[in-house]
Amino acid sequence: MPLVAAAACAHTPQLLVRPPTEDRDLVLRVHAAFARVKALLAATRPDAIAVVAGDHIEGFFLNAVPALGVFVGAECAGKFGRYDYRFRVHEPLARAILEDGIERGFDLLYSQEIPLDYAFFVPLHFTLPEPAPPIVPLFVNVYLPPQPTPRRCYQWGEALARFLAGRPERVALLASGGMSHFPGTDRYASPDFEFDRQLLERLKQGRGRELTRLTGADLDTAGNIELRTWLVLLGAVGDARADLFCYEPSWHHGNAVVAWSV
Amino acid sequence: MNHYALPPAGAYPLNKCLFRLKSDDGFRARFVKEPERVMAEAGLSPEERAALAAQDRDRLVALGAHPYLVFMAQFRLRMETDESAFEYF
Repeated sequence: MPLVAAAACAHTPQLLVRPPTEDRDLVLRVHAAFARVKALLAATRPDAIAVVAGDHIEGFFLNAVPALGVFVGAECAGKFGRYDYRFRVHEPLARAILEDGIERGFDLLYSQEIPLDYAFFVPLHFTLPEPAPPIVPLFVNVYLPPQPTPRRCYQWGEALARFLAGRPERVALLASGGMSHFPGTDRYASPDFEFDRQLLERLKQGRGRELTRLTGADLDTAGNIELRTWLVLLGAVGDARADLFCYEPSWHHGNAVVAWSV
Repeated sequence: MNHYALPPAGAYPLNKCLFRLKSDDGFRARFVKEPERVMAEAGLSPEERAALAAQDRDRLVALGAHPYLVFMAQFRLRMETDESAFEYF
C-alpha cells in the first residue's frame, strides 16, 4: 500500500549527548519536534519503518563504499558512547526491496552485518513508537565522494514508493540528515542557513522535484551533502507538501524536522 | 569548492587510524593510554603522528585525512576523556 507516513529529521549527535556547547532550549525544541514525528508514527501504525540515512563512515570505511544499500540482516545494532541500540529488521520487506531494486536497475549493496550509524539511531531514539515496529535501514553514501547524484537518489525514492505501493505492509519512510553543516572544516561555525530556508519554502509548496536539478557540487557548497537522503524521500512522496515541524539553526547546524502529507 | 573529497590512497593508514579512534572503543582507550605506541602500530608516518598527537586538524587534512573523520575522532576522544562535557542538560 502507499506510504502511511513520511518525515525527515536532523540527527546531529549533540541532540543526543547534549554537551555544554549547545543551546539547551534549542535542543529541547528539536526534541519537541521529534515528539511530533513519534506521535505521527504511533498514529499511522506502520508495520515497518524504512530509514534512509547517510553512513558517517561507520558501517562503511574506505575498504568498501556503496552508493546505495539495504541492510538485510535479522537485526542491526549501533553504539555511540553509552548509547547502545539494537533494532529488529523487517527482513522479508528488506529482502523484497533489495530484489526489486536490483530488478529495476539499481545496483544496490546489501549487508547482513555492519554496525549501524548514529544517523539511523539518533532519529529513532526520539521517534520510535511503542511497541517498536521493525525497521529497514537504507544506506546512501553522503560523506565519501563521488556520491550518488541528487537525481539518482530521487529516482531511487520513486522506484521505492512504486514498489511499496504494491506491498501489503504499512510502511513509514524516515529520512535522516541535514540540513546545512560542515563538520571538520573551517565552515563548521557558519552553515548556510539561507540555503536551508529557501529550500524549505520550496518543499512547503510541494516543489521537491526541483531539487533534482541540484548538483553534488551545489550540495557540498551549501553544507547539504546529506540532503541526498531527503532526495530519496522526495522521490517517494512526489509533489506532496511539507509540513515544517521545526527549523532551528544552531551555531553549527540547521536542525530541521519535517513531515509530508502522504 | 569541495569540503569533502575522496582521500588519497597514501593516507589510508591515517584515515584507518582516525576511523578506529571514532568507532572502536578498545582502540580509542589504548590510544588515550599509549598514543605513540598505537600510532606506530597503525603504521603512521612521523609527520602524521606529530599532527595527530597535536590534534592539528588543518595539518591532518593537509596530509590526506578526511575532515569528518578528524572531527568525529576528536569528538569521541573528548567523550572518552571528559565525561562531564556531556549529558549537560
